[in-house]
Amino acid sequence: MTRTIAYKFWDEITEGETLPRVEMPVPFERVILDAAATQDYFPGHHNPAYAQHQGQKNIYLNTMAIEGFIDRVATDWAGPHTFIRKRTMNMRASIYAGDTMVGEGKVEKHYEQDGRKLVDLSILISTQSGPCVPAQLTLELPCK
Amino acid sequence: MAEEFNVPFPLEYGTYEDALKMIEVRGERKNAEFTVNWEMIKVYCAMEEDANPSYWDKDYATKQWGGIVAPPGLLLTWGMALQWHPNKDREHYFVAMKVPLPGDTLINVATSTEFHRHLFLGDRLSAVDRLIEVSKEKKTRLGVGHFLTTEAEFFNQKDELIAVTTNNMFRYFVPEEKVPEENIAQGKAPEENL
Repeated sequence: MTRTIAYKFWDEITEGETLPRVEMPVPFERVILDAAATQDYFPGHHNPAYAQHQGQKNIYLNTMAIEGFIDRVATDWAGPHTFIRKRTMNMRASIYAGDTMVGEGKVEKHYEQDGRKLVDLSILISTQSGPCVPAQLTLELPCK
Repeated sequence: MAEEFNVPFPLEYGTYEDALKMIEVRGERKNAEFTVNWEMIKVYCAMEEDANPSYWDKDYATKQWGGIVAPPGLLLTWGMALQWHPNKDREHYFVAMKVPLPGDTLINVATSTEFHRHLFLGDRLSAVDRLIEVSKEKKTRLGVGHFLTTEAEFFNQKDELIAVTTNNMFRYFVPEEKVPEENIAQGKAPEENL
């Protein structure tokens, strides 16, 4: 299956624009793949007994997995010519094995600074249990 | 019988006062274990189902950036310690894991990263970090402990700044008695939502 790649240019973007919703299931396999892919063998990410010892209900995705999903929500919309200048995120609730995560976003600001064409986004990562990780991104994009 | 688990890796134990002594002590710059490589990039992008050709398509990436680049979300991975090495003890790369405190576990709470340039295949990352702040003891939905704020600067082998990260982590233990609900703040600072 080939995914269509979108290319968004800075001068086409308007404040208030919403990003397409991105949904991805998180079976146990993806949480284990996360530990392997990011070389993060902290046991909360692969051992349910340890996760429960931490007060969590199950093994959960690590920071790097959530960062990558946030970035994907942005670049699936803006395109591969995007340079992510800044990403800020608050992990308010964990994303567990068995969850489905959903990313939604909106253009908050469209501006130029120091010769750069920038866009600020707000992105929210949720699961079926509710909001988990609010994030803010600053993207640098080319003009058409 | 409860399922057993191994201790994650040695954390430093001590008091809040011990932790405060580490504030603003700048650590040594450390070289990452892994050079930036396409195989690890592909595994990470497969996990994210990220089709961005900057990570997959050499022709596109070369035209756009000068070569395949590393996804920003892999920044911390290059410095992760191997599980075992014939000549080295396993050592934590980041100072947050070395702060002496009572809690027997930890969880990341918030992170903010400014990116200055891409990492390319073959690049070797190095980082220097320091502890900025340790909170007094706090009670949260997860347990009782301290919030640690750290800052890390990441460089490539040419000494060019790649990124600067500020991170907030909760080092805690789960008390035998549940923390009373009225002691849990809601909906303000990120750590209060744990």
